[in-house]
Amino acid sequence: MSYKIAIGSSDGIHVDLKFGEVENFLIYEVSEETELVEKRKVLPGDEDADGAKNPDCASGCGAGSGCGGHGNGCAGSGDVTQRVALIEDCRCIVCKKVGFMAQKQFEKRAISVFDVDCTVGEALEKITAYYKKMDSRGGYYRRDRA
Amino acid sequence: MAKLLDKQRYKCALGAMQTVQAIERALPILHSGPGCAQKLSESVGSSGYFSPNIFPCTSINEKDVVFGGVKKLNSTIENALKVIDADLYVVLTGCIPEIVGDDSGEVVSRYEDADKPVIYAPTAGFKGNNYKGHEQIINAIVDQYLEKSDTKQKGLVNIWADVPYQDLFWLGNLRELEKLVSELGLTPNTIFGYRRGIENIKKIPKAEFNLLVSPWVGLSCVKKMERKFGTPYLHYPTLPIGATETSKFLREVGRFAGVDDAKVEALIKEHEDYYYYLIERYADLFLENRVINKQFSVVADAQYALGITKFLANDLGLIPAKQFIVDDTPANYRDKIEEEFKKLNYGVEASVSFETDGYRIHEEIRNHDYHGYPLVLGGYYEKEVTEQLKGNFLNVAYPVQDKVVLDDSYVGYTGGIRLIEDIYTVAVSRFN
Repeated sequence: MSYKIAIGSSDGIHVDLKFGEVENFLIYEVSEETELVEKRKVLPGDEDADGAKNPDCASGCGAGSGCGGHGNGCAGSGDVTQRVALIEDCRCIVCKKVGFMAQKQFEKRAISVFDVDCTVGEALEKITAYYKKMDSRGGYYRRDRA
Repeated sequence: MAKLLDKQRYKCALGAMQTVQAIERALPILHSGPGCAQKLSESVGSSGYFSPNIFPCTSINEKDVVFGGVKKLNSTIENALKVIDADLYVVLTGCIPEIVGDDSGEVVSRYEDADKPVIYAPTAGFKGNNYKGHEQIINAIVDQYLEKSDTKQKGLVNIWADVPYQDLFWLGNLRELEKLVSELGLTPNTIFGYRRGIENIKKIPKAEFNLLVSPWVGLSCVKKMERKFGTPYLHYPTLPIGATETSKFLREVGRFAGVDDAKVEALIKEHEDYYYYLIERYADLFLENRVINKQFSVVADAQYALGITKFLANDLGLIPAKQFIVDDTPANYRDKIEEEFKKLNYGVEASVSFETDGYRIHEEIRNHDYHGYPLVLGGYYEKEVTEQLKGNFLNVAYPVQDKVVLDDSYVGYTGGIRLIEDIYTVAVSRFN
């Protein structure tokens, strides 16, 4: 069984992007080997013009223009949902920072979130080792059981 | 196959956060998942300056399982030191960080030079229950905080008894033990409860000896102190309840401390005179054979099972049915504890079962012939089964649900009288 991991990295070496900053998610496929199979582009139409670069927003959720905007909660939810949907075939997402709303969206889809500050290599090594252990024990977490 | 444990009476070792809480101005810092602390907190007199809801916790999640939780632990300790004013910070680790392999000891060692002491106790659930966790906390204090003292203070005695909060009577019991020891002319030193705290912890190495009043909990700690501080210890396995055991207790402590025999005997006489004056006044009640049950069972941890069995057999002349020890006593202590149950007056012996499964205990109680209605002293779990058997039930041990205990105690002469009051209140109320 293979699965995919989405990583936010600008140079392919460091996990250096916040979830909202990612323009191209690096998609790794893990089976026997781990290999980079795709650079999945976030379509520009997916966000507001001031999107993730909003200087007032420190959460890094990339939720576009709007924490608490328009008087009805976080107006960025639509954008987050689209971003999340873009990589919902992955087993987990690795970014430097993932905002609260995005985390909740991933949680709903049973996708693990790892907001870490390390190299891509280290992240892949640790995560694949972790999933290998989980899967070899036939636990509840195997995706093919879902 | 996995085994289910019915009605368990203890928690995991991380439950020892209550031991830390019992030390005034000591703060547990939990390196565990958020659910652990939530599950372990109880409202049995545990609110106050620090309560479980404000214990700093690393709240580790899946990310920390994969990448390690050391960074989070470091920042949690760092910030706890900044925002919470405590005298002693104790990091307790749960199962997850210990399975993952976080080197919590290393993180804590970074705070050696902090203004306040930070120590660390490995209390993963797979290492044992909260009785063992309690020992881990005391061992951590001895190992990491205290230094050997060159001078000893004459007459100073450290008193160690069973686990705070797990034993709802912990505060009253410790105070009563202190009182008895000070009446012998010695100076008691305990670290738990009101106005004890860090100052008393610092006195531990200066004590002339350690007095451990418990069948097994804390034995590893007093042995450790003997090795590290050269402090000898007296292990008194029976919690002294009532005149027989308390007088024995005073004689043994007096002998060990070199207190003049005449002084000890005078003290005992004074207490016993009053004790038996009370008993005598109610002799008609005690001798009315329809009031109290013929046989009894205690379902409790080792300290109460042993202490109450001795009290009911020696002081009240009741016949012990089977007794149940539910604290998962480590195997190497069991033989000695069983021996203690054979040392009852009038050649009476009690059989004892080390059983942690509530279902099996209840089956045994149901199937035993108590020659009438049973008297059961135990946890709240025993209430229903005792009621079904139309017996008399008193809730003395964990879990305690139908009793509020602030500083009541079952220790000593007065503790024996309190226990008689409680038992006979239950017994006489069935006739009203």
